[in-house]
Amino acid sequence: MKSFTHVIQDPMGLHARPAGMLAKAAMAYPCQITITAPSGAADAKRLMSIMRLAAKAGMEITVTCEGDREEEAASGMETFLKENL
Amino acid sequence: MGFFQKLFGQSSDDPQSSAKSAGPIQVFAPVAGQAVPISEVSDPTFGQEILGKGIAVKPTEGKVLSPCDGKVDMMFETGHAVSLVSDDGAEILIHVGLDTVELKGKHYTIHAHNGDKVKKGQLLIEFDFEAIAAEGYDVITPVVICNSDDYSSIQSHVGKDVVPGDLVLELEK
Repeated sequence: MKSFTHVIQDPMGLHARPAGMLAKAAMAYPCQITITAPSGAADAKRLMSIMRLAAKAGMEITVTCEGDREEEAASGMETFLKENL
Repeated sequence: MGFFQKLFGQSSDDPQSSAKSAGPIQVFAPVAGQAVPISEVSDPTFGQEILGKGIAVKPTEGKVLSPCDGKVDMMFETGHAVSLVSDDGAEILIHVGLDTVELKGKHYTIHAHNGDKVKKGQLLIEFDFEAIAAEGYDVITPVVICNSDDYSSIQSHVGKDVVPGDLVLELEK
């Protein structure tokens, strides 16, 4: 298991478009990827699940990768979040 | 008696067992206007189907009505988008205008909330599309099936004017 935290920088929070891009990024990896926010936990590969978090700017999320290629997934997701959210 | 009530109560609450008869899942237009292929949406997240397959409507009326019987999954507090899960399991996102998250709720009025059970045609959001357009936003409204991968085929009915309740998408498992 590999996890890291990220604070949402996008002033609009984790709204529909970035949530979709995040799900697409997560789908590139075979392992299970979970996002935990104060509002709950979401499957990072499911857009609806991510949107339900309603994560806002300044909110800390934890991304946990578990399974096949988890190290690669964690570093890929971290890069994606830094660049986009 | 209690045992049977519990038994039957549970089985009828199970979305799998209460699924409608075979045949495609139908999704209806949530807003009046011109239905177009989603590829016509200039935002590539929608136009290139990154969020899923679907259609888009160029609205001629400022009301979003439920495209199916189902449940509101996520009503964005800004009112610019809403996601629903239909009773037959389709995950539907309706995004009213492009980049309209930036309006922070201005010109939008919410009429349903997270977790609400809704009927097809029930009012979800009202929006002032002329005011939104006047602020420089494209009011085109993508209707996206977020769980597109769950279906073997998704047929869209576009290239025509629609009113709420007209069939716009058919999903086959």
